[in-house]
Amino acid sequence: MMATQTPVHAVLDQTSTTPPRRLVLEVLHDWIATVDHKKIGLMYIGYALIFLVVAGLEAILIRIQLAVPNNHFVSPQTFNRLFTMHGTTMVFFVGMPILFGFGNYLIPLMIGARDMAFPRLNAFSFWISAFGGTLLYFSYLGGDGLYGAGSAPDVGWWAYAPLTAHAFSPGHSTDYWTLAVLLSGIGTIGTALNIVATILCMRCPGMKLGRMPLFAWLYLVMSMLVFVTVSPLTAAQIMLMLDRYLGSHFFDTQAGGSAVLWMHFFWIFGHPEVYVLILPAFAYANEIIPVFSRKAIFGYPAMVAASVGIGFISLSVWAHHMFTVGMGAGANAFFTLATMVIGVPTGIKIFNWLATIWGGKVHFTVAMMFAVGFLFQFLIAGLTGIMLSAAPLDWQLGNSYFVVAHFHFVLVGAILFMLFSAFYYWFPKMTGRMLSERIGKWHFWIFLIGFHLTFDLMHIPGLLGMPRRIYTYEADRGWAMWNMLISSGGFIQAIGTLLFVYNMIWSYFKGAVAGADPWDAWTLEWSTTSPPPDYNFAKIPTVESRRPLWDLKHPEDPDSNYE
Amino acid sequence: MHLDHTEVETDVIQLPSPTIFPMVLALGISLICAGMVTHVAIGLLGLVLTIWGSVGWFFQVFPHEHHVAVVVQTEEVTIASTRTLTDRLPAIETQRAILPVETFHITTGIRGGVAGGIAMVVPATLFSLLKYHSIWYAMNLLAAGGFVSWAGASDSFLGQFHLQGLLAALIIHGVVSLLVGLLYGAMLPMFPKYPIVTAGLMVPLLFTGILYSALSIISPILNERIGWFWFVVSQIAFGLVCGFVVNLQTKVRTPQFRALPFATRAGIHSDQITRPSKQNGQPDEKDPSQ
Repeated sequence: MMATQTPVHAVLDQTSTTPPRRLVLEVLHDWIATVDHKKIGLMYIGYALIFLVVAGLEAILIRIQLAVPNNHFVSPQTFNRLFTMHGTTMVFFVGMPILFGFGNYLIPLMIGARDMAFPRLNAFSFWISAFGGTLLYFSYLGGDGLYGAGSAPDVGWWAYAPLTAHAFSPGHSTDYWTLAVLLSGIGTIGTALNIVATILCMRCPGMKLGRMPLFAWLYLVMSMLVFVTVSPLTAAQIMLMLDRYLGSHFFDTQAGGSAVLWMHFFWIFGHPEVYVLILPAFAYANEIIPVFSRKAIFGYPAMVAASVGIGFISLSVWAHHMFTVGMGAGANAFFTLATMVIGVPTGIKIFNWLATIWGGKVHFTVAMMFAVGFLFQFLIAGLTGIMLSAAPLDWQLGNSYFVVAHFHFVLVGAILFMLFSAFYYWFPKMTGRMLSERIGKWHFWIFLIGFHLTFDLMHIPGLLGMPRRIYTYEADRGWAMWNMLISSGGFIQAIGTLLFVYNMIWSYFKGAVAGADPWDAWTLEWSTTSPPPDYNFAKIPTVESRRPLWDLKHPEDPDSNYE
Repeated sequence: MHLDHTEVETDVIQLPSPTIFPMVLALGISLICAGMVTHVAIGLLGLVLTIWGSVGWFFQVFPHEHHVAVVVQTEEVTIASTRTLTDRLPAIETQRAILPVETFHITTGIRGGVAGGIAMVVPATLFSLLKYHSIWYAMNLLAAGGFVSWAGASDSFLGQFHLQGLLAALIIHGVVSLLVGLLYGAMLPMFPKYPIVTAGLMVPLLFTGILYSALSIISPILNERIGWFWFVVSQIAFGLVCGFVVNLQTKVRTPQFRALPFATRAGIHSDQITRPSKQNGQPDEKDPSQ
């Protein structure tokens, strides 16, 4: 085998390799005052990981409560708070921040920029999201509640009206939820604005839109979706606050308001939100699968078109969450068809990933193993999604554990698997150390087994009629064995996650030194040191193809000859 | 891609200076919100922080944006690939020409769909007339899939004329016929020797089989009352007419045609393709039967 070695003149910070020991306060000030996209990205990721552990613990408590029939491990009130906080945290304070974290860290590096377009807005967006999450959890301590016993929100992550009205939700628990989500929404829109401006205005010379990494394309579409979808949610939160504080009647059905109006507002955010979360997962797959298949991505233009198509179609599917409301045959038919149609661009993506792997020299690193898991599980999630998109079937299965299983296949089976993949892939770039592949493989297999034990089987009690959000159930319903197995799977996933956390901590201190380009990859972030210097690139690079590092490593056969 | 250290002209790079004011502003706004659920004093503290953060941020960027100079130094880094030198597999230039050089125009499928859709009405109307003594029954039955209120409609109701039934049936039948026609237009060039048999018999039977298994979900009322024999007849009528109309049309050249050598495009040489053998990568002898 011949290896090509191309000397490259890159840049490094001149800082001494053994800097003087700094005071904790100095370090803290550096992080609090930073406007560097990489540090902000890492803060997003760290903050999301903390909330991931918290929301994971809430999930474990939920599963303990449901493991056996007639259980009273927690009170019904606590149970309501648990599933509310679990859902809200996972969507607003884990999913969004962690995806924005990766975007923040990687987008400027991938497009050859030195920072985001608005570095100070970037810092502001992070901090306001972080304070939103803190306010949400402060409700456990600071909420006076009906009996002064602490009142975390208990209205579900969708907070349907009229449950949120003062009459049914006294005290401040719902206000905490509203304000926390409102703050998170401000941060989300700020970061989305930053991402769009950065991608459109700060690409390095030669990087036309058609040469941009698919990662950046996906984040561009996702950010556009954020503009359209988070704004209605923010508006609805303000309307809800007006209802609760100033006596308006937007959602008060007894005074001429409409509870269904809230549902429309919420789901016009809520369903595209799924795509806001999954598009970045697609972005990671677009980078990781080709590198470990040793092939360029198959069908780049089709992938871009499919991503944009998903962005548009996802805006017209929200009411499939409302089939049981009684919208009428016309609306049911429209939202059924729209939901089914979104399977077309999504299918294009799956076929293109498979075509990328097909015939490639596949390297089954842990990152690739998680990516393959993502492909398989996302397909299953899509298929159950098509089932649920048919209104008659949804009438039977809506609000059952089948739906819970379906969306956890999306959120865990697809998004979390791809996030794990992204961690294994980009951790070396962020820290300069490799994550242990040995521990990673243990993590993968344990988590995979736990995942399938939990969420494959969760479809069955749903089919048997077990409603979601149920506190406990009678022993004669036939759900007991399934729930015990599902809860066992939850614990196995928790063990896998602990292994992952251990791997990150151990590898950060003891992991093998990564070097600039440990995966023999092709995008610009691998052309600089690991971790990159503050300025990313001393000289802004000029690119001539979609795989600039390939061109650099293979001057005898650059991609620019074929694009 | 170019990364040349000789192009670095300065040894410092100006980056936006760190500042605490975005954090202060975010904290201020958050405390204003927190004040609504805790105590007014918290809200007032938030207001003070908001003003302080806004003013501080303003002076960070006006009149001149604050920057910090970061020292850089070039250092030689080796970017190496473990991959062998690229070695492209032997493939002849015309290999991609196996993509079709001619296909039907998109309007061909639309014409076929319209013709097939009209032909399909004949057996459907016959079914209505012979079994329910009304020409409107099949139309209303199709439309009933779109109206929940028609789910329990009687046969006599479905036998009467309803304007909304006519409109709904026209939309459903028209859209489906057009889509299937487009599919035929796209697929007929790919079918083997007897496209009419495939299009007129095989595909309708296949489509009927799929619909048979799924109709209870798509339209329960249609599933209960449909006459499957007549349905198959109407599908075959659609397939035969649509396939016939599509085959009557002239094919148009695809972009692949332009990739052929001039002599082939001019009709001087055959466009027969030689393909590499799987064993040795050498082109096979041209098959005289093709």
